[in-house]
Amino acid sequence: MNREDRRSISRQYFSDERLAEHHFRSFNAFLGRGMQEVVDEKETIDTDIGDKEGEEPVYVELGDVRVVTPRVREADGSEELLYPQEARLRNITYSAPVFMEMSIVRGGEEEEEVVVDSTETKVGRMPIMVGSERCNISGFDHDELVEIGEDPVDPGGYFIVNGSERVLMTSEDLAPNKILAEYDTKYGDEIQVAKTFSQRRGYRALVLCERGRDGLLEVSFPSVSGSVNFVTLVRALGLESDEEIVHRVSDDPEIVKFMLENLEEADVQTTEEAIETLGKRVASGQGKNYQLKRANYVIDRYLLPHLHEEGVEEEEVRINKAFYLCRMAEACFELALQRREADDKDHYANKRLKVSGDLMKDLFRTALNKLARDVKYQLERANMRNRNLTVNTVVRSDVLTERLEHPIATGNWVGGRSGVSQLVDRTDYMGVLSHLRRLRSPLSRSQPHFEARDLHATQWGRICPSETPEGPNCGLVKNFAQAMELSQNVEDEQALKRELASMGVEGMPGLEGVEPTTADD
Amino acid sequence: MQTPKEIGGIRFGLMDPETYRDMSATKVITADTYDDDGYPIDMGLMDPRLGVIDPGLECRTCGQHSGSCNGHFGHIELAAPVIHVGFTKLIRRLLRSTCRQCGRLALTDDEQAEFRSRMQRAEELSEDWSDVMKAAVRQARKAKRCPHCNEPQHDIKHEKPTTYYEVQDVLSGEYSELIAEAMQPDEEEDREGMAPQELAEKTDIDLQRVNQILSGEFRPRKEDRKAIEKALSIDLTVEDMNKLMPSDIRDWFEDIPNDDMETLGIDSERARPEWMILTVLPVPPVTARPSITLDNGQRSEDDLTHKLVDIIRINQRFMENREAGAPQLIIEDLWELLQYHVTTFIDNEISGTPPARHRSGRPLKTLSQRLKGKEGRFRGSLSGKRVNFSARTVISPDPTLSLNEVGVPDRVASEMTQTMNVTERNIEEAQQYVRNGPESHPGANYVKRPDGRRLKVTEKNCEELAEKVELGWEVNRHLVDGDIVIFNRQPSLHRMSIMAHEVVVMPYKTFRLNTVVCPPYNADFDGDEMNMHALQNEEARAEARVLMRVQEQILSPRFGENIIGAIQDHISGTYLLTHENPHFTETQALDLLRATRVDELPEPDGEEDGKAYWTGHSIFSELLPDDLSLEFSSSTGDDVLIEDGQLLGGTIDEDAVGAFGGEIVDTITKVYSETRARIFVNEISSLAMRAIMHFGFSIGIDDESIPEEAGEQVDEAIENAYERIEELIDTYDAGELESLPGRTVDETLEMKIMQTLGKARDSAGEIADDHFGDDNPAVIMARSGARGSMLNLTQMAGCVGQQAVRGERINRGYEDRTLSHYKPNDLSAEAHGFVENSYRGGLTPREFFFHAMGGREGLVDTAVRTSKSGYLQRRLINALSELETQYDGTVRDTSGTIVQFEFGEDGTSPVKVSSSKDNDIDVDSIADRVMDAEFDDEATRQQFLGREEPPTNLSEHAEPRLSDARAPEVESDD
Repeated sequence: MNREDRRSISRQYFSDERLAEHHFRSFNAFLGRGMQEVVDEKETIDTDIGDKEGEEPVYVELGDVRVVTPRVREADGSEELLYPQEARLRNITYSAPVFMEMSIVRGGEEEEEVVVDSTETKVGRMPIMVGSERCNISGFDHDELVEIGEDPVDPGGYFIVNGSERVLMTSEDLAPNKILAEYDTKYGDEIQVAKTFSQRRGYRALVLCERGRDGLLEVSFPSVSGSVNFVTLVRALGLESDEEIVHRVSDDPEIVKFMLENLEEADVQTTEEAIETLGKRVASGQGKNYQLKRANYVIDRYLLPHLHEEGVEEEEVRINKAFYLCRMAEACFELALQRREADDKDHYANKRLKVSGDLMKDLFRTALNKLARDVKYQLERANMRNRNLTVNTVVRSDVLTERLEHPIATGNWVGGRSGVSQLVDRTDYMGVLSHLRRLRSPLSRSQPHFEARDLHATQWGRICPSETPEGPNCGLVKNFAQAMELSQNVEDEQALKRELASMGVEGMPGLEGVEPTTADD
Repeated sequence: MQTPKEIGGIRFGLMDPETYRDMSATKVITADTYDDDGYPIDMGLMDPRLGVIDPGLECRTCGQHSGSCNGHFGHIELAAPVIHVGFTKLIRRLLRSTCRQCGRLALTDDEQAEFRSRMQRAEELSEDWSDVMKAAVRQARKAKRCPHCNEPQHDIKHEKPTTYYEVQDVLSGEYSELIAEAMQPDEEEDREGMAPQELAEKTDIDLQRVNQILSGEFRPRKEDRKAIEKALSIDLTVEDMNKLMPSDIRDWFEDIPNDDMETLGIDSERARPEWMILTVLPVPPVTARPSITLDNGQRSEDDLTHKLVDIIRINQRFMENREAGAPQLIIEDLWELLQYHVTTFIDNEISGTPPARHRSGRPLKTLSQRLKGKEGRFRGSLSGKRVNFSARTVISPDPTLSLNEVGVPDRVASEMTQTMNVTERNIEEAQQYVRNGPESHPGANYVKRPDGRRLKVTEKNCEELAEKVELGWEVNRHLVDGDIVIFNRQPSLHRMSIMAHEVVVMPYKTFRLNTVVCPPYNADFDGDEMNMHALQNEEARAEARVLMRVQEQILSPRFGENIIGAIQDHISGTYLLTHENPHFTETQALDLLRATRVDELPEPDGEEDGKAYWTGHSIFSELLPDDLSLEFSSSTGDDVLIEDGQLLGGTIDEDAVGAFGGEIVDTITKVYSETRARIFVNEISSLAMRAIMHFGFSIGIDDESIPEEAGEQVDEAIENAYERIEELIDTYDAGELESLPGRTVDETLEMKIMQTLGKARDSAGEIADDHFGDDNPAVIMARSGARGSMLNLTQMAGCVGQQAVRGERINRGYEDRTLSHYKPNDLSAEAHGFVENSYRGGLTPREFFFHAMGGREGLVDTAVRTSKSGYLQRRLINALSELETQYDGTVRDTSGTIVQFEFGEDGTSPVKVSSSKDNDIDVDSIADRVMDAEFDDEATRQQFLGREEPPTNLSEHAEPRLSDARAPEVESDD
């Protein structure tokens, strides 16, 4: 590449549209599909109406959600387009109304289901990122911006809440749904652990698979105190025979030897027994039926939730969980046999970034739940007083608005994290640029964490090697490199999987039928 | 004035509920505070008997007004006993170790006696007796039955924070199924079945009974149960938990005899265990929880008051419900709620309990939070507090000040005051200060009449007031030149972080320092701020002047040498002045010595072109004491020779005059006096500044460039190293590398590579060094020790060298390689962070990145170290704060325990003792010299030797006895 080429590439990367590009892409993806995904997860709002004898149940069906561009409602009730500068000057929030299709359905018990009322209603206001696709100034050129009184060189990428500009700090987390093998110590002995942060729909569960000093595997996951024997758990998940368990872990003779030790120690042989044993652990001192129910609930709900997918049978999910646990076991054994090295937690391949859109998704999820609870309450109240149930009367739009605005205004995010949103540093233009591209590690600043603070070689080209604060945050707060590209998660995972299957990947749940295509076509 | 009292000792104990009632000024029954008219409600939380906070009201208990009334405790009668959270662990121990029936400690009399004697012994040896107590509890807990009343004991389970259960094994509800199952034959477990007849035989139970048991009609008794369990080797029991209510615990504890308590180390006189269960809650005085009136007239109550309101409300509800005969469930709920409120009233940061919150969501600050932590009562209000007469501002340098002085901004000087007692001698002066008023600088802010009235001096009344000032008045005048103040920079890590300075009032807003005091304070001028404290009485001022003045701190107790001396440019200056002994004309020589006391030049050293010249050595010698003789080798590499105050040869550099052990400064301080050393350091710094300005001194990027052929040599040296490394790697790959003792082959290879690269950089440095002229400013700074090192120069001109993280080459990154630019498992130098370029030549992107990796480690280290050192220092101070050297030479703590028989085990002060063997202080010669200088004839000398008159440095006039005849003129300099 010659000098001229390099120069023009640099120029592309240094253009001011790219400065907050990662924020725009993430937030646009949230508006475009993230919001709808959250609503689809929720699907319905169920009520307690119908619990009483002779009463027909009522529930609300949630439909399409739609966000328009920011506008302001004046005292006289008129609504006008709002531009960022006006929001800043008038100390108001730069937010756009959110509309959602909702239908109240009654019946299903004795009578036919009837849609009582169905309409698209305003459910609240969503703060809009300045410069995103729903922003009123997106697409304006330099002169147009000057015309309406906006700063033509402002990079955007932040929100305006009550007149103050807030950036959402990008945060760096350990990659979820990935097996990380590492050494640990337990009672002074070195043990091998395979860890997975299993994540699905905002629920995060840490699953640990430990190989203790005696070579026995133990698994621990939320809602079970202490740990469960590996073989018991795998059998409970439907992987019964010794042969299959060993085969699923590894065919390596040394690992097979380790596995046989585990199988010898196993005190259950069948799935039923295993679930019983598990039931005694999760609901000790309770009735037998309850124990079984609880055990089944726990393994379906809290164990490796990320393996649940749309369109995959429960039975299959369970066996997949068993396979996954076997892979974790394999990782432990390989580490014990020094077939592999411990995973490097600071390797950037093991990191995922939470950008503004992901954060807004978390926020919107809890806000929607809050709204649902309120709608449920309003519906039940309206029903008690024998009023007509209409969508518009049961939706109070400030519930959602408040839940969305307050965290952005204070930085106190859902899940108890604080400092997520920060006031844009307007000391100078460079301050703004740096702030918008800042990246925060959730590690505590009070502990040394030497490794995490080091400049890791995998940060080359992604994170600036020089810009980090001195002092307690050193190496934990980072800044994106100029040429950094942030990839988004795929829109349609099924399509991706089909594509992978067509390239020859086998054993993906729900995709057995796809024929691998050969390389030449 | 109250007379100080000596405190013999302090004992902590529990308080008897009766004592609470006795000391209570009133019982509190109403949760309300004020009525509609704003008056405190009787028997409410703000009852005037609890003390007053509003000015003008009178305390109904002691009759005093707010300010003089300290307040009085009240009390709340709790409807039911609750546990005091502070004692949950002790309660648990007592429950576990005492009998549930008779309350006695579950130890036999012999065991008790043994523990008692162990406890006594521990106390005699002032060891920690709590270990003995724990051992006793452990022993007692083992007892299955009480040795005194034979009652079976149960285990106690403690659920944090305040719930206790008695755990006992009872028969499982499914006993019949369990027995039946165990009697079934089981092939897998290789077990034969057992018929009921067989079971009956084995267990000695009637067959009929066995059948009844099997059908679930009859619950087997304990003995039968045990027999069945044994016969079938099964467990038929389940744990049953019986909750112990606080009242149960109180009843239990009341039975514990005093004697048994002593075995556990509890003094029953002062602490009966049942007192740990509260039946009466003391209400802190109003003065401890004052309410504040907001701007809008609304009253805002203290957190404690809020909590007390909660307690009283629940207490009330509890009583009402109980009287109304509410169901047990409700009573228990309310009891738990009362427990929660009392718990959070005492401590609101208990794990497992949600903290009580304010309406805004802020957790309440209750009793324990008031005491704990950095801002708590102990660390925040007793050990350290805010003080008057202090100032803080940015510091900046001023080389014209003496090192003893500090420039104080006039606006600070007019705020801080010193008290003048008006006497015949100073009445006019005092009047003048008052006349100047509070705003113009040497003025006064307040005057105090002999009757104790304090009058504020204002612009309006100053003239009038000045006339009134009489003998016996006190005038609070502004700080003026010569006043002594204490100056401090945090972190105060050693005693030189706080020193006394003499004030020089100056315009503008910063404190001004002479740059030579930067090392002891560890200060620089990049925005550092420092604190100043004006002293308020003569004792303090005298003490500060004698002990704390900067000149008294020239020698550091850290290493016994001077910590104050020339720094940076001063050292470059003296180097230029004395290296190769340059010549100066009369004008130049006078100009160099302009800022010193010297106003006459010595005889010229010679003549050049018909003009007299003076050498750098003789100019420097003008500052030395006349009879100083010294010989040492300088870091520049030559030998410095001083004879009779004349520098005869050598270069004056860091080793001669620098801070941290400059030979000449050190000697002058030790041999002559602190005052002489101060003068010397002041003059050296002025002379050096003049000298460096005379020669001119600057540095630029060209000063680090080396000729092309030198660059080629450097490249060659590095190339050689690369070749050797390749050889090493080849031998390693071939498996022929021999490992060093105690290391693996991999480690050996790493070490060898590191060594080779280190050598390569050093040789690059040598090559670069050869091509630098001696007049290169960077070289001058490095050689003289002013700033920087040859290593820095090497890195700038030759080769930056290997970058390391935690002492190793850079190894982390992608799998099997550092950066994706390299092949996997590449062991070469460049793939692991060797930077072959120089800073001046410029680093390649990869080199830059490796350099950033190495640099990051340094940044993290500094950040982590500073936070750690603060905590370390706090612990060290807390550990040593009570130790004191007594007049008998021993070091003791406050209880008189000897820590060291002699201070530092050798009875010497590091300041007074020679720091190294080769320049031991020759005490006799010092004594002779002092004597010679002091006495003209033997008679007076003998006369003097008869009596002891310790020298004082209170006044500079006391020092002409020293060898330097010009000492009285000292004052001119500062």
